[in-house]
Amino acid sequence: MTKPAQSKGITGSARLDLAVSLLLVIAAVALPLFVDSRYVLGQVVLALFYATIASQWNLLFGFSGIFSLAQMAIFAFGGYVTAMLCFYFGWDVWAALLPGALAAVVFSLIVGVACLRLTGVYVALLTLAIAQTMYLLIVTDTECFTMVGSICRQFTGGAVGFARFGDLGTRALLKGQWLIGNYAIIATLFALTMLFTYVVVKSPIGLAFKALKDNPGYAVARGVNRFQAQLLVFGISAFFTGLAGGLYAAHFQAIGPGILSLSQLMFIIAITVVGGVGTFWGPLVGTVVLVAADELMREAGEFRTLGLGLIITLSIILMPRGLVGRLGDLVHWLRHRNGGAPHPKLRESPVAAGE
Amino acid sequence: MLDILTSIVIAGITTGALYALATVGLSLVWGSMGMLNMAHAAMLTLGGYAAFTLCSALGLPVVVGFLGAVLVGAVAGGLLYILIVHSLLKTDKAAFESNVMIATVGIGIALENAILLIYGGQPLKQPISASGALSVGSVTIPWQNMLIVVVVIVLMALIALLLSTTRIGRAIRATAQNREAAQLMGVAVNRVYFQVLLLSGAIAGICGVMVSSMTQLSPPLGNDPMLKAFIMCVVAGLGNLPGAVAAAFGLALLEAFVQYAAGARWGFPTLLFVVIAVLIWRPAGLFGRVQIRRM
Repeated sequence: MTKPAQSKGITGSARLDLAVSLLLVIAAVALPLFVDSRYVLGQVVLALFYATIASQWNLLFGFSGIFSLAQMAIFAFGGYVTAMLCFYFGWDVWAALLPGALAAVVFSLIVGVACLRLTGVYVALLTLAIAQTMYLLIVTDTECFTMVGSICRQFTGGAVGFARFGDLGTRALLKGQWLIGNYAIIATLFALTMLFTYVVVKSPIGLAFKALKDNPGYAVARGVNRFQAQLLVFGISAFFTGLAGGLYAAHFQAIGPGILSLSQLMFIIAITVVGGVGTFWGPLVGTVVLVAADELMREAGEFRTLGLGLIITLSIILMPRGLVGRLGDLVHWLRHRNGGAPHPKLRESPVAAGE
Repeated sequence: MLDILTSIVIAGITTGALYALATVGLSLVWGSMGMLNMAHAAMLTLGGYAAFTLCSALGLPVVVGFLGAVLVGAVAGGLLYILIVHSLLKTDKAAFESNVMIATVGIGIALENAILLIYGGQPLKQPISASGALSVGSVTIPWQNMLIVVVVIVLMALIALLLSTTRIGRAIRATAQNREAAQLMGVAVNRVYFQVLLLSGAIAGICGVMVSSMTQLSPPLGNDPMLKAFIMCVVAGLGNLPGAVAAAFGLALLEAFVQYAAGARWGFPTLLFVVIAVLIWRPAGLFGRVQIRRM
């Protein structure tokens, strides 16, 4: 997250991003030293998956304005391809990750082509229908593809999904500490995703995405190729989503149609909305807040989904730009209160970084 | 062969009627206020359960149950406006579109879950249904299917009448055509929005009763009709009422044929392919006008 900013000369917001990312890296390295509980570490790994998917959905919706509801379908597609390569061809998980991610990119591009001439709500409806179709086709698959022992096995794994097709190799390498190994791998994935997203958002391509979102007519008139840009963002956002899908399958050593359910998609949307749509740190903040809220609501058991729904609705009404957006408002307000400060941009960074 | 054909057509027309009702509820709201109501499914379910509570649990007559479902649906629509849509309308148009979608998604989940918590997940029987069948020669038509089709036709006629002749209907159409111009001509746009959501909620309530009378009551009851209604709306062009009705019947018949010919699991994917084909050919739907968006 640092390199592109340094090469252009450091601005106030880049300094802030740099400071936050340094703090996060330190926190991420220190975490396994302080957390003993296997349960907590497991939840952290799960949260990292959520944050990765949410950041890519944010790239699609927040930065480019494409309201796609196929994000979990792309994630599942990557996961399924990885799992199926391992299951049917006996590939090593590591070798199957990249094909899985690339397959997700191809799938996402096809979705993108279907949505190319649509705007706004139509995109949401079509992508939702695609995701639901994928779910229905997998769940209702009952035709035997191969026999495993005496058990019939469907091509798509059916309602059960795939299990025991290999793992990341951390168990053999680290024995009892395998979870820390997996944590390191997935934290690296998340860091790479964020770094890549940062580069994309700050690059001319990212500006084109934003321009298309803010004012498509003007952007096209200024020479932005809408078709090209839209396909590009569908492809880019699918790569890390698909890769995360493969790692998800490898980490849990299982993948099933459950991840395609509407509630999983809603969780990703909730994360992005609560954190801040169209803000770089939004998905991470949202993940921390919502996973924590989810853990607290675990006590309330059956009221979890109800609470989640209300959180989504309330946060979109009370803070349309999410927690990060509200924080930005606060910084803005502070700056105005101290009006006439010579370097307001530099002064804001220590304040916000401390929050 | 003829028997099979007639039963497919009967099934197609019945589901078509149900889809048309679900689609009209969605399309009305989209057409007049540019709001995609993702909580529509939950409102459908709410109507079905309201009728169940009044008739089966409290033992009131069927008519009361039916009217109760209408009322509960309308109240849900009204509350949706007062609690959520009203405050979101202050944002600009582009933001409103996505914000209201996300907000209603949240409400939809919360409502569905609340119903699950109150009534439990086990399927319940909808008390408002007719048994028996009418036999004409070799063709038998269940009364239930006829009831649904008749109710839907009557409702469609009422909605068309409301929109074309009454003062409220004129205000709704004016707002749909041009919100600012309607406002300048003295239409209280916010009140129109409120009325539209009330109306849409009432339609959803009836639709919920009808859908559950064909199957059973369960918390995710409304999801399937809503997903199909989305597809119908997209094919017809969002906000186009006659087009939505035509698309609902056409696609329901197609679905019934495909389900018979290729198995039930291919019904929905076929609809999806039709939608994608239509959208590539005509991005604003078969009957939709190309929207001119102000920048």
